[in-house]
Amino acid sequence: MGKTLFEKIWDAHIVVEKENSPSLIYIDRHLVHEVTSPQAFDGLRMNNRSVRRPDLTIATMDHNVPTNNRTLPILDQTSAVQIQTLEKNCKDFGIQLFDINSPNQGIVHVIGPQLGITLPGSTIVCGDSHTSTHGAFGALAFGIGTSEVEHVLASQTLWLEKPKPFEIRVEGKRKNPHAVTAKDIILSIIKNIGTSGGNGTVIEYKGEGISDLSMEQRMTICNMSIEAGARAGLIAPDEKTFEYLRGRKYTPKNYESLVDYWRDNLKTDSDAKFEKNYTLHVDNIAPQVSWGTNPGMTCDVTESVPFPEDFSKGDQNQKKGAEKALEYMALKPGTPITEIKIDRVFIGSCTNARLEDLIEASKVVKGKKLSPHVRAMVVPGSQMVKKQAEELGLDKIFTDANFEWREAGCSMCLGMNPDILSPGERCASTSNRNFEGRQGTGGRTHLVSPVMAAAAAIEGHFVDVREMDLN
Amino acid sequence: MKGNVIKYERDNIDTDVIIPGQYLKVHDYAELALHAMEGLDPDFHSKVKEGDFILSGRNFGCGSSREHAPIALSHSGIKAVLALSFARIFYRNAVDGAFLLPIEIEEDTYSNISEGDELDIDIRINEIKNLTKNKTYKMKPFSEIIGKIIEAGGLFKYKPD
Repeated sequence: MGKTLFEKIWDAHIVVEKENSPSLIYIDRHLVHEVTSPQAFDGLRMNNRSVRRPDLTIATMDHNVPTNNRTLPILDQTSAVQIQTLEKNCKDFGIQLFDINSPNQGIVHVIGPQLGITLPGSTIVCGDSHTSTHGAFGALAFGIGTSEVEHVLASQTLWLEKPKPFEIRVEGKRKNPHAVTAKDIILSIIKNIGTSGGNGTVIEYKGEGISDLSMEQRMTICNMSIEAGARAGLIAPDEKTFEYLRGRKYTPKNYESLVDYWRDNLKTDSDAKFEKNYTLHVDNIAPQVSWGTNPGMTCDVTESVPFPEDFSKGDQNQKKGAEKALEYMALKPGTPITEIKIDRVFIGSCTNARLEDLIEASKVVKGKKLSPHVRAMVVPGSQMVKKQAEELGLDKIFTDANFEWREAGCSMCLGMNPDILSPGERCASTSNRNFEGRQGTGGRTHLVSPVMAAAAAIEGHFVDVREMDLN
Repeated sequence: MKGNVIKYERDNIDTDVIIPGQYLKVHDYAELALHAMEGLDPDFHSKVKEGDFILSGRNFGCGSSREHAPIALSHSGIKAVLALSFARIFYRNAVDGAFLLPIEIEEDTYSNISEGDELDIDIRINEIKNLTKNKTYKMKPFSEIIGKIIEAGGLFKYKPD
């Protein structure tokens, strides 16, 4: 019987495998950031261990960093300490660091691919759940906790249970690909399979609806695999993948011979078996807006906030969850999504802060003004994205419309740097999690695509972006 | 292992409510514990006792990879979380650092156990005794792989056979 792409990558990285024991898997790239690494480095010091492969380990700071003026000192002392700790750890252990002043600084999942660190067929880990992003390149990439970070630093390996392969086919053609985006595809998938639908699996996304997407759009899809509970998301590499990585800063010297190998080997065999299957048809899907407090609580922009009994389909925990979510979100069932007014807009995060995201959002904004009661931030995913966007004049389009144009970082995705919502504020956000308090205590998050966020910023409430001219 | 139950009747308890993002900069585990479950239940810290168990629905611990989540619960005194299912990173973090036991249970067990019930859990025989209700339930056994890491006392103590 043939093998899935996931099984091929797994098998190529086995160091030790025995029945009914964890497998020891080799890790090709380890990405490190300031929040989940300090205790891991402390552990190394306590046990007199070194970093096994500093040359395969890359660090940056993204979670804590303020996104305002970089020449100013960091006011939050605990953040400053965490950032200085990463600098010291990288110096002591000989790890390449893109620090706060580096032109390569940015969200770890944005800079990995941009620098050519992310490669097809490789295993990539990081102490961050959205490591699944790198799966867009046909890499097996997943988030780990701090104990495992320490284990990889010390040994370049991990003891893992083998996940099961899950095939998600995305079929058909979107009618308006500028208005109905990769974000709407992945939110539709999560809405349908649920936030634990992918538990214990590695998802492989296939079909015309996936091969049609650019690399940056594929990253949006794989990024949110974790929100469906999957260990990782994968897309088999194709000519778009190889072209994207060609000539980047860390692209290997023997790149073309690697491409030949990847082209022949990195695909699921026709007779391979998946444990699970799901198909989404995208011909008629609408822009998505989350209404609740997990990414599965999402509906079409043309729909209304659901009644808990309709949403839960008889499941008591789901019903209670929906009631609690509506109370937290201060929403009444039956309210049309387009009547929900917003206070804040966040265009950013490892899900949607790449150049294409900003280009698409700028088309909505160009020549218009922000709704007077809305505050909107655009936070490029990396300093490289910021520079490229500025070369295209996007910063001017956004600032002319009264949006804030900021420095790279995780920013308002996760409420641990100065960019947070105030209690009760409602935000249209291009990030990945609408959990209670995620963007700041009491803050209310609606997950949307960059064009939907931009349109909401202009109008002051959600609108169906298909009705706007985006070409 | 004996303790009382704190029950949260909902699915998808995420790591952002277990330990909100602003506390990920805190390195002192005792201080982290002060903020455990703060995003969901601000009274948690005042009601939790050493040895207590949390009982909840599906997909417990979904979201971020922050190991601060099982650490904050563990240092609050929680010895085990009983849930219908767990998100994978939380599950491994709990086991890898030997912070607490993630125990999967069946729907009937979940419905039968109430807030405050006293349980006696024996993972060697996969048994949960409800001392308050005088009932016995089966827990889902750990996979052999996870059982070996738990038995060793965490990832760094685990050695292959």
